[in-house]
Amino acid sequence: MEIQKTEVAKNPETDDTIETTKQNQSEEEVEHCDEQKQEEDELRSVLLSDIGDLPLTPPSATQVNFVSYFITDFTKPGHDQYIYRHANGLCVIGLAPTHIAFKDEGGITNIDFNVGKSDRSVLKVSGKRKKNAMRSESNTALCKVSTAKDSYIVRCCVKGSLLEVNERLIKQPQLLNSSADREGYIAIIMPTRPADWTKNKESLITLEEYKAKKEVSL
Amino acid sequence: MADETNPASGDSAGLSNGLVSHGDHKSRRVYQAARSLHSGAVKDLLSLGVCERCVFRLVSVEAFDSDLSSVSASTLRSWLESGDEKDASSEESSCCIVCLGVLQFVFSDAKQTLLRSECGSDYAARVTDLVKEEGHEFDSFGLEVSVPATIAENERAVLLYLKGKYNSESWLQSEKISVKDALKVLVLDPLKVSLGAKSDSSSFQIRLTYSKASDEAQGASETTRERKKRKTDEENGSTSMSENSFEKVYEPCILSVHCNKMPIFFSGRYFKYSRNVSQTRWIIDDERMGEASVEELIGGNILPACLGDSYKFHAAGREDIDVRMLGSGRPFLIEVQNSRKCPSQQSLTEIGEKINKSEKKLVGVKDLKFIGSQCWAMMREGEAEKQKQYAAIVWIARPVEEKDIDSISSLKELKILQKTPVRVLHRRSPLERERTIHWMKVEKIKGSSHYFLLHLCTQAGTYIKEFVHGDLGRTTPSMGSILGCRAEIIQLDVTDVKMGDS
Repeated sequence: MEIQKTEVAKNPETDDTIETTKQNQSEEEVEHCDEQKQEEDELRSVLLSDIGDLPLTPPSATQVNFVSYFITDFTKPGHDQYIYRHANGLCVIGLAPTHIAFKDEGGITNIDFNVGKSDRSVLKVSGKRKKNAMRSESNTALCKVSTAKDSYIVRCCVKGSLLEVNERLIKQPQLLNSSADREGYIAIIMPTRPADWTKNKESLITLEEYKAKKEVSL
Repeated sequence: MADETNPASGDSAGLSNGLVSHGDHKSRRVYQAARSLHSGAVKDLLSLGVCERCVFRLVSVEAFDSDLSSVSASTLRSWLESGDEKDASSEESSCCIVCLGVLQFVFSDAKQTLLRSECGSDYAARVTDLVKEEGHEFDSFGLEVSVPATIAENERAVLLYLKGKYNSESWLQSEKISVKDALKVLVLDPLKVSLGAKSDSSSFQIRLTYSKASDEAQGASETTRERKKRKTDEENGSTSMSENSFEKVYEPCILSVHCNKMPIFFSGRYFKYSRNVSQTRWIIDDERMGEASVEELIGGNILPACLGDSYKFHAAGREDIDVRMLGSGRPFLIEVQNSRKCPSQQSLTEIGEKINKSEKKLVGVKDLKFIGSQCWAMMREGEAEKQKQYAAIVWIARPVEEKDIDSISSLKELKILQKTPVRVLHRRSPLERERTIHWMKVEKIKGSSHYFLLHLCTQAGTYIKEFVHGDLGRTTPSMGSILGCRAEIIQLDVTDVKMGDS
């Protein structure tokens, strides 16, 4: 019965319903197929039972799971960054759409994590306790992004432990241009104490405030 | 009362007051053993205040056995002192300076009432009453006894005194049974009769705990200095123990009876129909997450049927609070601590029906049954090696095309690399885990061009949500990268958890 089921599932279907091939099958097998079809129909109706109205564009995973904060003109004018904070306290850091680097022709061409005292892209954080994570202050340098025209320092904005930097950016810096708010994120930082985050939060603004300030419709 | 002179054969009736006539061959053995003890030592110990059974225990060469149980202390005393029946002492003998009344079947209960028993069966009857109060159902038991440490010290003192006086006697050289073991020997058989149960190293333990009545009155524990002095004295062969060393006040102990049953297990499979029910109790900052938990809905119904103290819930894997568990259900175990009774299969079936018929339909169970020691093997089977099957509703940024359905369905044994998802990264190691998607199947949803139903069968430990939306590019490949556009997951259901036998 099991084997039969997977075989049916592997057939690509072209319609809503699954069609089982009935040639060359004994009566028993036909019965089995019917039973299975019934089970699958039942399952499908259960699966689709509570979806309600499907919106044209559902909220993204980021919008659902994170609270968005922004910081503008951080240490220098035009240096706008986002901080997406998860319910578990982790913060994803990246470039906000109004960052000055995006205004340069050709966009961002290169990223270098070797700033400050160490190369952020070679850190090896291990274990549940996140050993060997670099401690960061809000103005600790994270990386340097370069365009044809100039290069800009990106900073942590959050005090805590640096858990991860997005090393995919090294080979694919264009991710920053195409999706800075998702695949182009720069780093993940874990605030070490709740008190640190509360203090940090004071210098951040919400999505609404950001939109208003920059007069950008997102 | 029968005339208790020298034992005569033939007459073997047991008397209702616990005394056994000499005709019984067991008591005859005891009588003969009593008469053969070193009379000087016996006299010394009795006058010091050592009880009859302790005298027997310390002076006899023969093994201390259960025959002694049915002989009352006063009868035993008369046999020890002389063959003749003196006034079978109606006066209460004082508390033994060694066993503090333990072997005299004397103790105080929780309400500090002093209780005496003449013989083993009377004592067993009292203990049985206390055991019955706890309400356990059992047909076999294990017996454990614990006594205060001062009893060992008291015994050491008395033995030291005896060595001083009767050093080279042969009866002194044999190893003496401890008070604890002597009590077990005396009461085990009467307890078996009185409880109507067998004795074995079973899952049900009865513990008799004797504790000191008060700190001072027990020949209180030695100080370190006293212990050092005693040890050096023993080494030097000198003993300063004389009759005068034993002038302290001795009080009977307090006895408490505790019963404990080893945990029992129930197995079954559960279904989770609600997207607002967590698997286990989940409380953050005094607030419950979700409206209920699978653990409480099932365990909370089984525990009262077992009259247990508490329960633990174990499941073969887990799912998020917003993910339903459908298909054939997920295997689980309920472990109940100190159950008083084991519900019948009939009751278990009824409990299952009650859960399944409940108004809110949050959770369902099937195959609920009692399970023995193979339960852990069963759980392990469901864990790491097995495949899991899911159904997800997925949205993509462009309309679904035929080629999408084909390209997804054609991917078999797809290997993906998942970095630890951001949503669990705070409590799990940052690792990159390789996982396999065994197969996938796409079903279009009527009336919607951007949404589709995705069935997938994956290796255990795969994060499905992250496979769909890509987790900021940290899971590759993802649904989005395969289809070349943004993908989001709207809902997820578990449709099967395969175990070895299903």
